[in-house]
Amino acid sequence: MDWECCWSYGEISPEQCPYIGEGEEDLCQSHRRRVVEKCVDCPRFKNDLARMKEMGFPLADVIPYILSEFQEHKAQMGTVLGFLNSKNREFRFLREVGLVLQTSLNLDEVLSVAMTAITAGKGFGMNRAFLLMTDKERQNIKGYLGVGPKDYEEAWRTWDDIGRSKFTLKEMAKNFQKTKLSSEKVKFHDILEQLTVPLSDQGHIFNRALKGKKPILVENALNNPELDRGLARILGVDTFLIMPLISRNRRIGIIIADNCITHKPITLQDMQSLETFAFPVAFALERASLYERLQEEVEKQKLANLKLREQQTLIVKMEKMALVGKITSSIAHSIRNPLMVIGGFARTLLKGTAEKDERRAHLELIVRETKQLEEVLAEVLSYSESLHPVLDLWDVNELVVNSLDELAPALEEAGMHAVRHLSPELPMVRMDYKQIDYCVRAIVSTSLSAMERGGTLKVETLTEGDEVLIRISDDAPPLSESALEALTTPFFVTQQMGEGVGLSLCKTILERHGSNFSVATRPEGGNSYTITLAIRKENP
Amino acid sequence: MAKLLVVDDEANIRLLYAQELTDEGYEVVTAASALEAVEKFRDGSFDLVILDIKLKNESGIDLLQRIVKERHALPVILCTAFSCYKDDFSAWLADGYVVKSSDMQELKDEIQRVLAKKNRAA
Repeated sequence: MDWECCWSYGEISPEQCPYIGEGEEDLCQSHRRRVVEKCVDCPRFKNDLARMKEMGFPLADVIPYILSEFQEHKAQMGTVLGFLNSKNREFRFLREVGLVLQTSLNLDEVLSVAMTAITAGKGFGMNRAFLLMTDKERQNIKGYLGVGPKDYEEAWRTWDDIGRSKFTLKEMAKNFQKTKLSSEKVKFHDILEQLTVPLSDQGHIFNRALKGKKPILVENALNNPELDRGLARILGVDTFLIMPLISRNRRIGIIIADNCITHKPITLQDMQSLETFAFPVAFALERASLYERLQEEVEKQKLANLKLREQQTLIVKMEKMALVGKITSSIAHSIRNPLMVIGGFARTLLKGTAEKDERRAHLELIVRETKQLEEVLAEVLSYSESLHPVLDLWDVNELVVNSLDELAPALEEAGMHAVRHLSPELPMVRMDYKQIDYCVRAIVSTSLSAMERGGTLKVETLTEGDEVLIRISDDAPPLSESALEALTTPFFVTQQMGEGVGLSLCKTILERHGSNFSVATRPEGGNSYTITLAIRKENP
Repeated sequence: MAKLLVVDDEANIRLLYAQELTDEGYEVVTAASALEAVEKFRDGSFDLVILDIKLKNESGIDLLQRIVKERHALPVILCTAFSCYKDDFSAWLADGYVVKSSDMQELKDEIQRVLAKKNRAA
């Protein structure tokens, strides 16, 4: 019999069957497989069957039943196989996601993996996903991150890129974290901002999903009277999936996923897969954010410890200084009374001594020397008093104006004039008025003693960041390096600067205030002295 | 002639005050302790008290309070080796405050000022 189809031949040449495609040439040699895979669907075979029937073949009536049954089973097998394949892929994918989620403590890394997994074709293949998280105070659920294309064009570009890349999910997530995370946070900013919902709003679908601990598939959202239509408008889709993220009993947040570009229906299987995935994501997110907070606390503790150590050092230093102050003060006071008696009687005697008396010179010497000793004592006492500043809020400009006004006679006598540049809007500064006043006077006196007659003294106040500056500049000869150093060493004497504790006391006073004192030579000539007072918002 | 009471526990200082202030034309009486001072100022003949803050075992500030209480109109100038008491509010009861110095000009000026003020008030 000459049949149209090749089913009766054990072996054929490729030209004999038009349905054997490229790569299937081995079917030519395998009779059994060729019949099962090709002939059963072949129109030529159907024609042969019809001819068999015409010719009265006894099995011709039965074979079509068997065939159709076989085809049905084959189709079913195909579906089951497809299902198994997709499940297999899902398991591999979940394992990969799980591994990262279980090991990562970095919030950004967890986010990247989770969001890539939802939107990547290798993962759940949703077009777009939004993550909303509960805020620290657990008052609201807030939009945190959105991932996916914004429009059709971007979608194709992205999918094309992904299609060509051979990255694993982990690599893709890493790449996403490195190159895209920050831009994606900005990209959906407008949508995320509108997604804040108070956790107390029981009726809201987000809270319903969290309460039910089950995903909710929202369909036909734009026309559903039970739903907040605003949400659908914000998202721009009417079908989306709301997936609650719950770790133990804590509400971590929710994921909203949709197919805004392809409008592919969200299947029950999509929902189930996402649900399996939601738990490890919630757990990892919670762990990562707890870890982040822990790190913040550790950082705070470290800073506090550092500050504590600084304070301790300061306390020890202050105790030492206070002791020095006490000793100095006690010695100074015991010297003061006899000194007063010596000097006082010398003056009395001087008054009663005739102009020509040769003892007069000796008495004058005693008076002069006593006066000098008393001046030194006064400075030593100021020094020991400076160890205990009384801090209060004062207007720096007012202080400078008062000090300069009181110094006016001295300036005039020395033939100098002072120029004031006072910043009009200075904040109040916490300081010991008397001590800072002392500093200003000490600086002006130092400058005066070094300047020539007719010189100009410039006094400025200004703000720099969190500090108020008082700067006094003169046109005296520039100080040498050793003089600059000497100025801030107590009781140091230089020929150029005279003697005493004046400026070193300034430094001590300002250190007590937690402020700074600096002396520098000016490029245009002269020296400038700067008192830097910190502006403190709270009580020190 | 104004009559001054000088209270100081150091004999040499009392001597110096007495000599300098007598030269200035004042009548000067001295006291070495709070007790002695109280006995003396009670007769009511003084115009001014010059008082040291640190007396041997007594506080000049306590004495100041006593004077203010008993003789409200009697002015007091605190004279001390300590400049820090200037900010002690109980020292504000005094009419003047002078830091001890071999140059007594400041004290003399202060005496004149306080006496002039007292006379104006009277």
